Amino acid sequence: MKLSKVQTKTLLEIVASAKPDEIDCDGCFEHLAEFVEHELMGIQIPDALRKIQRHIDQCPCCSDEHQALLEGLRTLEG
Amino acid sequence: MSEPVRTNEASAATDPWIQRLVGDPDVRDSALEELRLFLLRGLTKSMASRYGGGYSAEDVVQEALVKIMNSLDQFAGRSRFTTWAMTVATRMGISEMRRKHYEDVSIEAFKTEGATFEVASEETSASDGLDRRWMVTKLQSLIEDSLSEKQRFAVRATLEGLPVEVIAEKTGANRNAIYKLVHDARTKLRSGLESAGISADELSIAFA
Repeated sequence: MKLSKVQTKTLLEIVASAKPDEIDCDGCFEHLAEFVEHELMGIQIPDALRKIQRHIDQCPCCSDEHQALLEGLRTLEG
Repeated sequence: MSEPVRTNEASAATDPWIQRLVGDPDVRDSALEELRLFLLRGLTKSMASRYGGGYSAEDVVQEALVKIMNSLDQFAGRSRFTTWAMTVATRMGISEMRRKHYEDVSIEAFKTEGATFEVASEETSASDGLDRRWMVTKLQSLIEDSLSEKQRFAVRATLEGLPVEVIAEKTGANRNAIYKLVHDARTKLRSGLESAGISADELSIAFA
C-alpha cells in the first residue's frame, strides 16, 4: 500500500509532534470533565491539565468526544 | 458557569448527587429521572448535529445511566457531577455511533502478515535547502526496520482514517492499546529521524 501525499504529510505531522510523555485515551477521559469546565468558563488551563489538550490534538476520537461534550454542555448552559 | 468544583476523592462521596443516587429508592429514582432529563437535553443537540436522525439519544442515555450508576466510585469530585456524567454519556453516545458507522468496514487488508506501507515520494526542494526526498527515504527505512508489525498495522489503519476505537474493536484490543501502538511508533520514528540529523522542526518546515 502506498500512502497518498496527504497521508504522508499527516504521518510526518504526527511524527514531528510525538512526545514521550503523552497520556492515553483513558488518562484524557479521567480529566476531561475538569478540563472542559475550565474551557467553558474561559479561565486559564492549569499546567496539570495541559496534557489533556496535547492528547486531544493528537487523538481524533478524544477530539470528537471533547467537541461533542462542549456542545452538549453549552446547550445545557443556554 | 461558576468556578470549577475543587474537591478531593474523599469529599466526592459527599457530593449531593452521589448522596441522592445511593440514597433511599424514592430519592434515588427522583435523582435518576432528573439526571436522565439533564443528559437527554445535552445529548440530543450535540448528537443530532453530528449524526442526524440515525441516533436515539434516549437509548444512549438509558445505557449511560446504567454505566454511571456502576461507576459512581470513579467520580473523583474534580468537576461537577453533572459534567462528569455528561462526559460518560457523550463518550458512550459517540462510541455507539462509531460502531454503527464502521460496522461494514473491514481491516483485513491492513492485517496482512508482514504488511508495510510506502510513503509518497517527494521532489527535492532546492529552494529551502532541505532534501525532502532523502527525509522520506529515511522515514521509509525506519518504518520497515524499527517498527513492529503491530505498530505498522496500527499506523496504517489510522492513516486510512479509522478511529483507534474502531481499530481496537475490530482487533479485540482496547482503545488504549491501539493508541499506545501508534504513539510508540511515532516516538520511534521521531527518534530515528533525529538520530539521522533530522529535527522535528526541519520536518515541519520541509513538509509544511
